[in-house]
Amino acid sequence: MYRLKATFIKEYKLLSVDKTGITILFIMPVFLVFVMTLIQQQAYKSMSQSGVPVLLVNRDRDSLGTAVERGFSNFPVAQLTVDHGERFPNEDAIKKEIIKGKYTVALYIPANATKILEQNVEGIMGKMFNKDLAVAATSSKVEIGIIIDPTANKSMVIAVSGRLKQYLADVKTNVLFNIMGNKIAGMMHVEIKGGMPQEDIFSYKENYAFRDNRSSYQPDAVQHNIPAWAIFSIFFIVLPLGGGIINERSEGLFIRMRTLPGSYLSLLSGKLLAYFFIALIQFMLVILLGVYLLPLVGLPVLNIGPHLLPLILLTVVLAMAAVGYGLFIGTLFDTPQQSAVFGGISVLIMSALGGIWVPMNIMPEVMQKISSCSPLNWALRGYYELFIKGGDWQAIQGEVIKLLVFFFVCLAVSYRLFKHKTSSN
Amino acid sequence: MEGKACIKVRELSKQYKGSNYLAVNKLSFEISEGEIFGLLGPNGAGKSTFLSMLSGLIKPTSGEVEIFDHKLTTDTEPLKKIIGVVPQDIALYPTLTGRDNLLFIGRMYGLDGKELKDRVDNYLTRFGFDKNSKNAVKTYSGGMKRRINLIGGVLHNPKILLLDEPTVGMDVQTRASTMEFLNEINETTRMTIIYTSHDMEQANTFCDRIGIIDRGQILKMGTPDGLLASEDCKDLEALFLKLTGRKIRD
Repeated sequence: MYRLKATFIKEYKLLSVDKTGITILFIMPVFLVFVMTLIQQQAYKSMSQSGVPVLLVNRDRDSLGTAVERGFSNFPVAQLTVDHGERFPNEDAIKKEIIKGKYTVALYIPANATKILEQNVEGIMGKMFNKDLAVAATSSKVEIGIIIDPTANKSMVIAVSGRLKQYLADVKTNVLFNIMGNKIAGMMHVEIKGGMPQEDIFSYKENYAFRDNRSSYQPDAVQHNIPAWAIFSIFFIVLPLGGGIINERSEGLFIRMRTLPGSYLSLLSGKLLAYFFIALIQFMLVILLGVYLLPLVGLPVLNIGPHLLPLILLTVVLAMAAVGYGLFIGTLFDTPQQSAVFGGISVLIMSALGGIWVPMNIMPEVMQKISSCSPLNWALRGYYELFIKGGDWQAIQGEVIKLLVFFFVCLAVSYRLFKHKTSSN
Repeated sequence: MEGKACIKVRELSKQYKGSNYLAVNKLSFEISEGEIFGLLGPNGAGKSTFLSMLSGLIKPTSGEVEIFDHKLTTDTEPLKKIIGVVPQDIALYPTLTGRDNLLFIGRMYGLDGKELKDRVDNYLTRFGFDKNSKNAVKTYSGGMKRRINLIGGVLHNPKILLLDEPTVGMDVQTRASTMEFLNEINETTRMTIIYTSHDMEQANTFCDRIGIIDRGQILKMGTPDGLLASEDCKDLEALFLKLTGRKIRD
């Protein structure tokens, strides 16, 4: 125990004399989380609120063109510019405008699109009731052009084209019902009053699968980003920790250390404890950022959920896992340069695999399987359980155990590695 | 040799992995309690390897060392508590003060509180650190660092002190003061001292007994006067060159 105390006091003094270093250790993770959350929130906003520039060239001027025009004018993702063929008479002219970067997506509805659509629907009806009419009416299709900036965000393009398909389907259904209604009315010798009723016969209600009974709460980018980037920055502690261990080992200091009573791990115990506390403080600062600072710049308040003890427990094992990995890196390599490159890049890879950069569910299946081996992923799942899904201790115990096992494996491997290194001379 | 043997070296050998020769080759001798034993030899003779084995840094390939009847290979940890080591390289944290470095070393030996602080302050005063004990070690001169390095080895009052070229880089005054301190501590506490150096004159006056080592083997061992008489040499340097040759070693 006295070795832990001795090495901890020593490490505390080493850190406290390096004021720039300690400031960087605390400020940079907070800054990283702040910037990343702000960027991702803005990216989300720019798509959902300010919209992407969409050009609609409507040469139809009939019900199909009007329906699409009306629909897109209320679509928040699109910042719509409408042209009826005066400025952009054909697709080539539109392409030139897209290349210039003025629009991200353009929709081109050709002239007489509604008429052709009606003829086609007549044809479909004819197929159902009269073979001769079918042959005459299904000669051409309505071809709606979608011209896309190749650098455009794929999900945004999917949103725009999805919306277009929805309106086209609506118009087609309308036309189909109108023609069918007229035919049935003719057969039954009755008169149709007005067009097809426009009421929605479906309603949609989003329900989040929370573990608790919260109802008004809606997850947002802050809830996703804060834990993700906090985990990422805490794991970056491997760089100063690994480098510090290597420096100590290589600078002759460790020769004296090794002549002192105690095992490898006990000689480093205070250093590990000091960095463990640094990781905890880093996380606490990030949480404070989410709760108090981000709302000041217009972002939602971070909701840390109602279960404080499981949150503390998860954070403790996360800090232990990060410190354990730092010890492993510091033991495995012999120069700070080696440890910095390997440590930094391995944390980046583990974070990418862990779902910090992109959600796991959009990764290929193989990567998803690998992803579940990343300690950052275990931590992230745990925080999502507590912050978003309303989970408690039971919901995170699997992740806590995995992080704990990771820590002990790092200790054991480092110990064996050090034994091997020192016995090899 | 006076007194009871506290260190018994038996057929001690060390061969580093990948090396074709023995760095230490079947050394067998004893060192008495309270004795100052000097190990002299050219570069690569095996002095530091021997001290490294004695301080528990590396394990012998074969043989054994008994220290106060405890086997070094099996009782390394308890023996570390009674051995003080002053490494050849400065083994201090450069950004910490000299005092903080010593407090850390003391705590690692289980010292604490007032006892530790008093010991550290006494040594700092004894070695002339009244004014600058609270400055960072990186601001010290080479001699000052060596003095702190030395205090770090004796702070816990070890029974055995291993000194690996302790006065390298010290000016004449500091060197004289250091040797005076070591003599004093040896006389007052009967601390056994094993010392390596390239300073023959210093070894001659400081050591009770000297072993001249080369290629891992002790070539001659005895009191300085006895060795000079037996080999008919006027001083230790002449004896050293006679035994180890004039070829430059790496």
